[in-house]
Amino acid sequence: MRKFILVTLAIFSVAAASAQGAASVSTSSPGPAVSKSMPASAADVEALRQQVQSLSETVKTLQQQVKDQQAALEKASLGGELASQQNPEPSPIAGAAGSPAPAASAPRRFPIEDTSVVSSTTAPAVSGTPAPGSFPTTDTSVVTSTPETISSSGAGGSLTAPIAIGGGKNYMNISFDGLFALAYSSARDLNHVEVGDHDPQQRGFNARNIELAFDGAVDPYFEGFANIVFKLDNDNETEVEVEEAFLQTTSLPFNLQLKAGQFFAAFGRLNPTHPHTWDFADAPLVSGRILGPDGLRGVGAQISWIVPVPWYSQVIFAVQNGRGGTGYSFRNPGDDGIFFGRTTTDREARGLQDFVWIPRWENSVDLSPTQVVLAGVSGAFGSNETGANARTQIYGGDLLYKWKSSHAEGGFPFVKWQTEAMYRRFEAGRGVDESFPVAETFHDWGMYSQLLWGFKKGWVAGVRGDYLHMTDSEFTDDMDRQTRSRVSANLTWYPTEFSKIRLQYNHDFFDENFFLADRDVDSVFLQFEFILGAHGAHKF
Amino acid sequence: MKKILLILCTILACAVSANAKLNVVATLPDFGSLAREIGGDKIDIVTLAKPTEDPHFVDARPSFVVSLRSTDVLIDGGAELEIGWLPPLLQNARNPKIEIGKPGRVQASQGIRLMNVPTNVTRAAGDVHALGNPHFMSDPIIAKAVAQHIAQSFSAVDSANAAVYDANYKKFEAAINAKLQEWGAAMLPFKGQNVVAYHDSWVYFAHRFGVNIDIFLEPKPGIPPSPSHLTEVIAQMKARHIKAIIVEPFHDRRIAEKVANATGAKVVEFSQFPGGLPGTDSYVKLIDTLVSRLAAALK
Repeated sequence: MRKFILVTLAIFSVAAASAQGAASVSTSSPGPAVSKSMPASAADVEALRQQVQSLSETVKTLQQQVKDQQAALEKASLGGELASQQNPEPSPIAGAAGSPAPAASAPRRFPIEDTSVVSSTTAPAVSGTPAPGSFPTTDTSVVTSTPETISSSGAGGSLTAPIAIGGGKNYMNISFDGLFALAYSSARDLNHVEVGDHDPQQRGFNARNIELAFDGAVDPYFEGFANIVFKLDNDNETEVEVEEAFLQTTSLPFNLQLKAGQFFAAFGRLNPTHPHTWDFADAPLVSGRILGPDGLRGVGAQISWIVPVPWYSQVIFAVQNGRGGTGYSFRNPGDDGIFFGRTTTDREARGLQDFVWIPRWENSVDLSPTQVVLAGVSGAFGSNETGANARTQIYGGDLLYKWKSSHAEGGFPFVKWQTEAMYRRFEAGRGVDESFPVAETFHDWGMYSQLLWGFKKGWVAGVRGDYLHMTDSEFTDDMDRQTRSRVSANLTWYPTEFSKIRLQYNHDFFDENFFLADRDVDSVFLQFEFILGAHGAHKF
Repeated sequence: MKKILLILCTILACAVSANAKLNVVATLPDFGSLAREIGGDKIDIVTLAKPTEDPHFVDARPSFVVSLRSTDVLIDGGAELEIGWLPPLLQNARNPKIEIGKPGRVQASQGIRLMNVPTNVTRAAGDVHALGNPHFMSDPIIAKAVAQHIAQSFSAVDSANAAVYDANYKKFEAAINAKLQEWGAAMLPFKGQNVVAYHDSWVYFAHRFGVNIDIFLEPKPGIPPSPSHLTEVIAQMKARHIKAIIVEPFHDRRIAEKVANATGAKVVEFSQFPGGLPGTDSYVKLIDTLVSRLAAALK
């Protein structure tokens, strides 16, 4: 019972308050303010009655004025406009017609303000009155300084609530990428033909790159990125890789930027990118055999500097542990403790010489408004595990040329030519306890060159040539040390930027060496991909 | 040798003069055009996207980083139109002056009530923008608000010339106010008429000038026209006697021509950006051209 009384009281008070609000709204500027006290005396009522009477008279005269004006306008064959102009926003126009403003100023044939699209906070007509539909009659248009304070005035039918500015309402962008391939190969050991860990590894279906990507601003000083990759091995067991997880500074002075965590080394064009952004279904031979099947990546830190010259010039310098399979040519103990035939040590870092040091310098110029060239040189220097003092040096050069139509739709048409060359000097020691018969130095080199032609919106045709020269050794039968070459052709359809279907043909040639016979392999891949979540941006 | 010296001198001169002026980068040519109106000869402006290319897909060229790394002001849409290419540029630009919230960053959509905000965000509907339709600059009333926003930013960053920016804004505002009467009168006879567009980028223009642009050659935003969808469009156009098809410089005009031939409608070349059509080097000239072209086609 008590509750009931409380509720009725509450309802009553709300109703009273709203009635009061309505009263204060209905009597707008012309009349004096209505008394705020609730119980109205007879005198008050009389005063109100008089006011209403005078108001209605004013309205009548104003209506007459408007009619006269309309007649005059119609004579000037403009009347239709005013009448029709009232349709889209009936309430604001009606309000304007009711006030003396239009009569005073020159008649506007076309509205020059629109509160339904430009929100205003400082105009008293909008912020002062809770009632919707007050049409701003002032000429000073206003823009909100902060998005939070956008007032919601009476909007037209198709207009919606204000929006948050600045890339959504989340602290973090999340996306999910699934990359699959159906593979056929004339070779049964497709995992020895393909050199990348995310390439198709067996005849039939492959799921080698299922990726969760996160990024966002950490705070005003850092941005954070992470890519977690799940892949299924040939026995359908799930493997997880923390492919990348790093933070990066946003506003260091002098055009400097620091990066720290687990990240891809900025070596060449392809190595720092994720497989789903690649133009082919598999990694080039040089990437897989010189930098490694997983690319060169590791835990470390990197500093980069944009050189203050009129063209784009950036110097990047990174240091990473270079240990394990993702530091393939460096402190990599190899499968079962054997690398290039040697029994490896798997030692802790003895000093700075055991880290991998990765410098890069890249430059870019616009040849014309539609043509860009980007060229870079990279290096990676460290030690390896095949001997006590065995060292590895890798040098690389890369060149990218891209033409894109000045009338491109969806980024098409375009032509992109990308080439990378690498040279590796690998000191192969005698292994643990000098157990291997000889120490030798390998001079391995190779390159790939690929041409992509986006000939129609969503359609890309590509060709690629690959060559890899491995120093012939009479002492190791490692299949990864076979000189070989490859030609590839593919056709990709991107239904949207969030999906793709790719058909690729590879022809592999393997040269004969001391242990291995020459052979040719034909492979066909049907790759398909989907992306969910945040809209990824495309790096150049 | 002389040539090299000359080039070096030019570069040096550019560097010196660049120091004297306010450096401004605009992501899209419409913002660039407004910046020019407001900044006049007090600014050096670089516009990243070309007026003739699809603003959704611009390459994040390294040379853009060079412009962004030292600019005093960046004007972008802030409504995810540039989401496919601006974020990596900003990550690499490392320029604290243009962070969101700083006076040197103008996000044009701030204070603009975007239309067509999807209630359900799903890409099954095509490439919809979660924040609403980002092609808002074709409404001159919105352009005024953006121009004022730009003027406020310029004044805050370069207070010595605040009076100039304010005066230029007032001039622009007056020009638009006067022109609105002209444009409104020109479009008045066609009020309520239906127009077909290739892509859904004209909702603000349609709202301002009272035409309906809600049939598109694209079945869904960003999805290329399919034969079955075009058949449907042709039937609708015939039933509703639609006289004009709007295409932009980067759209496949042949598709629009085919539909036009089947329906007797005219193909009208439109552009969201000053410079996208011949003789439209300023915002006012662009809207002039759009209005006169559409009026001519609807006659």
